[in-house]
Amino acid sequence: MWQWFFRLGSPKWFYELSGRWLPWLVVAMTVLLTIGIVWALLFVPADYQQGDTIRIMYVHVPVASISLACFPLMAVAGVITLVWKMKLADMVAKCAAPIGAWFTAVALATGAIWGQPIWGTWWAWDARLTSMLIQFFLLIGVIALRSAIESPDAAARACALLSVVGAINVPIIKYSVEWWNTLHQPASSFSMAEDSPFGPEIWVPLVIMIFAVYLFFVISLILSTRTEILVRERRSQWVVDLVAADKTQGA
Amino acid sequence: MTALAGPQVTTFTAFRATLRRDLLIALTRRNDLLNPLMFFLIVVSLFPLGVSSDPQELTRIAAGTVWVSALLASMLSLDNLYRADYEDGSLEQLLLSPQPLYFMVLAKNIAHWLVSGLPVVLLAPLLAYMLYLPADAYWTLMLTLLLGTPVLSLFGSIGVALTVGLGSRGLILAVIVLPLTVPVLIIGAKAVADASLGVSLGMHYALLGALLALSLSLAPLASAAALKISVN
Amino acid sequence: MFENLAFSSVTEFLQMGKYTFHVWSVYGLFAVFVTVNLYLPRAAHRQFIREQKRRALRDAQTAQPIEADEGRPDANGGE
Repeated sequence: MWQWFFRLGSPKWFYELSGRWLPWLVVAMTVLLTIGIVWALLFVPADYQQGDTIRIMYVHVPVASISLACFPLMAVAGVITLVWKMKLADMVAKCAAPIGAWFTAVALATGAIWGQPIWGTWWAWDARLTSMLIQFFLLIGVIALRSAIESPDAAARACALLSVVGAINVPIIKYSVEWWNTLHQPASSFSMAEDSPFGPEIWVPLVIMIFAVYLFFVISLILSTRTEILVRERRSQWVVDLVAADKTQGA
Repeated sequence: MTALAGPQVTTFTAFRATLRRDLLIALTRRNDLLNPLMFFLIVVSLFPLGVSSDPQELTRIAAGTVWVSALLASMLSLDNLYRADYEDGSLEQLLLSPQPLYFMVLAKNIAHWLVSGLPVVLLAPLLAYMLYLPADAYWTLMLTLLLGTPVLSLFGSIGVALTVGLGSRGLILAVIVLPLTVPVLIIGAKAVADASLGVSLGMHYALLGALLALSLSLAPLASAAALKISVN
Repeated sequence: MFENLAFSSVTEFLQMGKYTFHVWSVYGLFAVFVTVNLYLPRAAHRQFIREQKRRALRDAQTAQPIEADEGRPDANGGE
């Protein structure tokens, strides 16, 4: 078990393994994404209250739920970086931060667009939108800290620590924002979606989209981690050989 | 720092020596002591100028204004926390000392709060009066600030410790620390607002107390780890 | 399968009820989001390999004059 764990920490091993997996992941993502989007746009019946805005849910909910997974992921990678000083964990954490910021921003934007017809305004200080916004700020903080520290090793550990602190704070922020918001105004936010009959014709495409977007997150993370591996290991022999063996790019 | 050198020094004496030293240094540097306070005063007086001088409107925003300004003032004073010690090398000494770093960091944080947080708490009623805060909310304001500003210092300490080695830290510190302080702001400002509405405040105090307990036990550990990362 | 379609005509599909802008802007944003986040890492990867190849080539070219430089003192010493 431990041998496997430390082998996973070898960037070269990860690069080769992910290279073999990538085509399959991309195929799976494309198939799921196509089915999910076609189903959501063409076959899901319009909601009796929300009309066709229900179709926004099939983008918003997957993106939002995966953006919530980003901080725990960075925190776990951070703990691994701090405890075992595993380089790969830091590379993943470094690449996950901007992707997570993208996911959070898209979740906020789609939430605003979905909210407009329901609330009559683009932005409401709804508990979920607000805590999503704070999470976005936290991610921006981690990214800013990473770019401010010059030494890669110190940056790795500093960002790992900040991710752990942030991950401990995320549930506190979420709880306090909900507490603040629900006392101000009753949570009217998504109750419409929750009230409507939730048959399989509604949730099956949602589950498909969640898997598809999850795959997209993983693929995007793997792609940027692979580049990060090459950049950091550029002096090691296997990268030099790999570059020399690459025929696709004219020198 | 020489007081810490002997092997027979207990954690408590070291803690007390660090606290005393930081307080003495702070008292000799009047500007560091006064500037955050002046900043607090100025920011609060900007709100009536920017929003409205109408007493009713000010009453409505008073709680939030005082809390946000206290938050910003504590942000401003954070830089003093490890900066000078980092530059003259005594921070390195502290890290090398055999005492548990948790208590040393805690001592520095307490000293920092005594010179920057406590004055803000004491000045708050005056500013609250200028913003027409209802009279029954005064004690709540002071009590929530008393519970909340140490949390701001403790969280802020993590941010300063992470950025103490960097050349330009001003903005990045705020970007890192401000999102972390959201719960304190929310609960504190809401408690003051609810006090003037006559709502029971047990829950608010309990939450703030829980935050303080949590940050007292965990934040110095994070600060200590961050200092070890930064000083290398 | 097609009797389950939510729309009876293409115009109706494009219109999305009253929410033409809302639905299509979300899906448009999503399309941009997916494309950018798959394309950018790929581009960075290619860029890295291109740069490294260029560097390897440059190193190979500059290597020869250095060898010639090393040869010179020997020749001078022989004189």
